[in-house]
Amino acid sequence: MSTESTTHSALPTPGRRFVISVPMAWLLFFFMLPFLVLLYISFVDMGTDIHPFKPLWDAKAGVLRLKYDNYSSIFASTETGIWGQTIYVEAYLRSLAYAFCTAVLCLILGYPFAYAIARSSPAARPALLMMVMLPFWTSFLLRVYAWKGILADQGVLNRLLLGLGLISEPVQMLYTNVSMLVGMTYVYLPFMVLPLYATLSKLDLRLLEAAYDLGASPFKAFWLVTVPLSKAGIVAGFMLVFIPAVGEFVIPSLLGGPENIMVGRVVWDEMFTSNNWPRASALAVSMIALIVVPLALYYRSAAQSAEPAKH
Amino acid sequence: MSKYVLSVALAALALAACGKKEEAPAAAASAPAEEKVLNIYNWPDYIPEGMIAAFEKETGIKVNYDTFETNEALNAKLVAGNTGYDIVVPGTAFSPAQVEAGFFQPMDRAKLKNYGNLDSDIMAGLSKADPGNKYLVPWAWGFTTVGINRTKVEKALGKTAMPENVWDLVFKPEYTAKLKSCGIAYLDSPTEIIPPALHYIGKDAYSNDPADHKAAVDMLAKVRKDIRIFSSTMIDDVAGGKACAVVGWSGDINIAATRAKDNGSKDVIEALLPSTGAMIFFDSMAIAKDAKHPGNAHAFIDFYLRAENAAQVSNEMSYPTGNKAALAKMKPEVSGNKTIFIEPAVAAKMVPPGKFTNEGRESMASAFTTFKKGK
Amino acid sequence: MQRILQNYFGRVWMVLVFLFLYLPLLFMVVFSFNSSRQDAVFTGFSWRWYEALGRDTKIVEGFWLSLQIALATGILSAVLGTFAAFVLVRYQRFIGRTLFSGMVNAPLVMPEVVIGLSLLLLMVGIQHVFGWPERGLLTIILGHTLLGMAYAMVVVQSRLLEVDRSVEEAAMDLGAKPVQVFFLVTLPNIAQAIVAAFLLSFTLSFDDVVISEFLSGPGVNTLPQVIFGYARRGINPTIYAAATILIAIISTAVVVYSVWVARQSRRLAREAQLALAEAQG
Repeated sequence: MSTESTTHSALPTPGRRFVISVPMAWLLFFFMLPFLVLLYISFVDMGTDIHPFKPLWDAKAGVLRLKYDNYSSIFASTETGIWGQTIYVEAYLRSLAYAFCTAVLCLILGYPFAYAIARSSPAARPALLMMVMLPFWTSFLLRVYAWKGILADQGVLNRLLLGLGLISEPVQMLYTNVSMLVGMTYVYLPFMVLPLYATLSKLDLRLLEAAYDLGASPFKAFWLVTVPLSKAGIVAGFMLVFIPAVGEFVIPSLLGGPENIMVGRVVWDEMFTSNNWPRASALAVSMIALIVVPLALYYRSAAQSAEPAKH
Repeated sequence: MSKYVLSVALAALALAACGKKEEAPAAAASAPAEEKVLNIYNWPDYIPEGMIAAFEKETGIKVNYDTFETNEALNAKLVAGNTGYDIVVPGTAFSPAQVEAGFFQPMDRAKLKNYGNLDSDIMAGLSKADPGNKYLVPWAWGFTTVGINRTKVEKALGKTAMPENVWDLVFKPEYTAKLKSCGIAYLDSPTEIIPPALHYIGKDAYSNDPADHKAAVDMLAKVRKDIRIFSSTMIDDVAGGKACAVVGWSGDINIAATRAKDNGSKDVIEALLPSTGAMIFFDSMAIAKDAKHPGNAHAFIDFYLRAENAAQVSNEMSYPTGNKAALAKMKPEVSGNKTIFIEPAVAAKMVPPGKFTNEGRESMASAFTTFKKGK
Repeated sequence: MQRILQNYFGRVWMVLVFLFLYLPLLFMVVFSFNSSRQDAVFTGFSWRWYEALGRDTKIVEGFWLSLQIALATGILSAVLGTFAAFVLVRYQRFIGRTLFSGMVNAPLVMPEVVIGLSLLLLMVGIQHVFGWPERGLLTIILGHTLLGMAYAMVVVQSRLLEVDRSVEEAAMDLGAKPVQVFFLVTLPNIAQAIVAAFLLSFTLSFDDVVISEFLSGPGVNTLPQVIFGYARRGINPTIYAAATILIAIISTAVVVYSVWVARQSRRLAREAQLALAEAQG
């Protein structure tokens, strides 16, 4: 039925069908099916008494009862009817802001770091890279937990500052924006460093030398030569940090305060505290749409712009 | 095209069959005789160390003891169904609806030889939530109230006297502003905070009316900036000195007092008895309808109803269990502690638990979230 | 002059960032030996938290459980990921390719809360209809594999794209069947990537909190769940002791692995040089 476009197909047709079917079946069952269930529940009404939701098809009346409220209540306040004034939208925007700040902080911390590693001797590089990866392999939960101890009111940092006489009483650092950003930057730093390192290590030093020869100061050469050439790494690192950071749940739970409620926690609360399955599902579907659709479009355009280069 | 669909279907069946084969023999094995296993889902810090081990030793039944922190979390699991637990311990605000929905199975009194140890007054109170006392057996009861580290609070208040209505300490801006520095903590659950707030502003504590909830949140919004911690497990926060005034559970506050003493602190920590009343709660054991080990569950409940075990709970966890026979075996400082075994006059002023509807809980949850996120 | 400054600046920054990266680890190791429960003042050296760790069955059981789950997830993810990578790289056109590509890549960008929620609803639904599965070990493995498969696919895919097809074509020209070609030529070529994919999925599964919380059942508490539970209750130095042991195990593993890889590449380089010298001589 479907023809191979390349001349050498790796396996004949029945084998090929098998190879495709195995992952396809898995994905359909564990990704598509849950998504459909999610979609279904997002359109039903919350159940009365204890049941989580009412059925979609009202058997007695023979009517399909779609409840759009679940979605509209996410985006527009039920009281005032104004768009965007709901806790959900606010939490989402807040998450975007925190994720963006985290990515920027990771970039600021990570770029010189990656650069220094890329410029160090080839013998030292594997060891340095290993030292960067080692914390990553250690449980991330434990490392976040350690920050709780470090930033607590009676924790190490406060004691140190008190001991040095810089402050007169403990500063509340835990359960604030600060602790959360510290935790997020800490966890996501390796994700920024590695792509940056990958690009920077491939940097052709002769280009820099040419710039110096042409009279550029090291500062200028850095901004006009190095940074643009490492653009791919910067973008990759940024995406690797920003996208997962938006939906992060654990770090805000352990290090953030109630003012920093992020969108992951909102979905959790909707399910386990409000016990409102339909709205939780609607939130989940909205989040998928808000993240997946722009990315799909981005990849489509990136692929399209890359295609002319192939031919 | 059809061959493609067929191979996808075959692959799916193959995957499903692999898993099912594992489960089938296990299911067959548990059908005839009950496995020697028991799954319990309870609140944290609610069972003395060693009680589970003693039960396991006596009966040879392995106990899996998991904890949850809020009524909502337990409710979410029950509603999802097939929790896998045999014994769960809901609070009375949620249990009437759960009983009605058929989540629990009736208890077999014949298997509970120690049932007579229970205080009939308590059981009469419980029958409001569970008519006929068919589904619930009390685990412990207490009241949601204001707990303070008296030493720190008096220091923070300075010249200001303690208020007549101690709820002011956590709900009135004049007091919360002063106590902010030594730390105020709230339970992190809408159904624990909104009722006292409603009661404070003179409304029905267990109202399901969204308008009432909004009024409560309007009151709470005024003190939001002074609240530092939201936690369901604030024993360490109080004992460790991170919070000096809390809205918490009576028993937990008493445990915090003991723990602070163990840590060497000289501060006086107490659960207060508000003149306007505190919120009584009953946490009761129930056997899940789809429990796989009901026989073992009954054995554990009967074990718990023994006078000496109930006494141990009160002695170590500072909670009364509703077990009359246990009174004789308790330490005098526990049975004499008026914040654990409250006098009838005080009890009469307290607010008995009400019942929440789905919509009511939902409205409370969103009101609470609005309150939490505000500054 | 500016160049020297730049050099030093780079090195100093590197050291500072390394300090930042290792601070929590050092903190936990040091305070796991603290004789009191305090987490700021080191009151004295003591093994008591390690003793407490030995008595804490929850942590120990959680560790073994997480290990089992991570192993199963790693293997399953590596296998499925390889399948998926193969499909996406080698088969340019088949029905549902866009859908397939979307489904494989989606877990990478979806928040874990959303993945956990949708899988929970699915399991609940299936349980209502079929009475199975019980939420527990199996369901957690399935949930982790969904995520692990996506990461594994990315790793294997990038390697598969680089593989030189001419060797495979040569093998086929010599009469090898496609299945043989796959196992004897392709697989060894991408073996290192598959191992990397396994390790990545293993780590993700071992560390996972959110999906485990959604999909676990009674008596099934993974190590992250246990730690998460403890973390919400305050600081407990027993966790520091557990962390120190874990750090020791992983550090040893990583160092051993790195040294082994370095030795391998040095050996290969030497062999290549020898071969070159022979060819020239």
